[in-house]
Amino acid sequence: MDLARQAQGGDESAFAEIVRRYSPRVFSVASRFFRQRMLVEEAAQEVFLKAYTQLGSFEGRGSFEGWLTRIATNTCLNMVRGAKRRPEFTVSDLTEDEQGWLEQQSAGDGGEPASVENSVVATDLADRLLSVLSPEDQQTLLMIDGEQASIKEVAEATGWSESKVKVRAFRARKKVREAMEKLLSYKGGRVSG
Amino acid sequence: MIKMPDKINARHITEILDKGSIALLSESELNEIRVHALECMSCRDAYEAARLSAVVIKSRAEVTIEPSPFFQTRVMAALREQQAVESVPAMLRLWRSAKVLVSTMAVTTAALAVVSFIQPAQTTPAPEQTASAYSAYSVIMDQDADDQMSYEQVLSTIYEDDDDAR
Repeated sequence: MDLARQAQGGDESAFAEIVRRYSPRVFSVASRFFRQRMLVEEAAQEVFLKAYTQLGSFEGRGSFEGWLTRIATNTCLNMVRGAKRRPEFTVSDLTEDEQGWLEQQSAGDGGEPASVENSVVATDLADRLLSVLSPEDQQTLLMIDGEQASIKEVAEATGWSESKVKVRAFRARKKVREAMEKLLSYKGGRVSG
Repeated sequence: MIKMPDKINARHITEILDKGSIALLSESELNEIRVHALECMSCRDAYEAARLSAVVIKSRAEVTIEPSPFFQTRVMAALREQQAVESVPAMLRLWRSAKVLVSTMAVTTAALAVVSFIQPAQTTPAPEQTASAYSAYSVIMDQDADDQMSYEQVLSTIYEDDDDAR
């Protein structure tokens, strides 16, 4: 790729163009890990600084976007690895909005959240559920179940083998489903239904 | 034929739910789950949980923060700053980061030296004060007290010297 070669040669304007062109992609990856703009921007900046120092290792075999996506994924994983995870998720942690959303969804036929408010509640709930997983499992589940990415795409983005991705996805899905089951049944009763 | 809920079947259903995204399940797989869920409470719960999990995860995946218009400028500024840091020799960088600490330590050491060596000289008691406690005469006499000869010894010593001279 011309831009990458020019940037490798020390052309700053070429690298600036790379930042402009690929920042939506890098932000998209970072958004899987963080929800606060400040953290997403911090992660994205770190990704581009790393990419600049590692430009020499890009041989042009695959796509530049794929190469950058892998750097983004690994950088974000490293950033969240140290973060403390919640050991257990209980129904008492739910807000009234979240409980209301669950009741509404259980009573209905499973339509997706329509309003912006519902979407925010669902997203908060997703974060709570995903917090029972390791950052690697979160990443896998969000890509496969959330973005409908294939096993191969996840393997390329992370550098893991396809079998490892499959195992991670299976394990993550099971954990999240079990956490959701716990939420739906509490105090010997049901949220609804 | 009505499928009887049993352990193997229930496990089979959860395996179907966990092996892939619920959105990608085939119609036959979904039918199998629904039919079984009519009779099996645990599978119905599992299916409901899997369905809701899929909804919230999809909702979470749709959250994407867009880069701000200043992001490119910010990255390029950070890059130049990083390059500037790398171009400065290590000892100079060390000095830049430690100069405040080193200066503070130097000032503290100088202040301690002043307090230790100059200030005590000014507070040393005056000679008169010392004399009041230990007069020169008494000190000299006390020091000589052990060596002091008796009067007779002095006289004999003098006369012995005179005899020797004759």
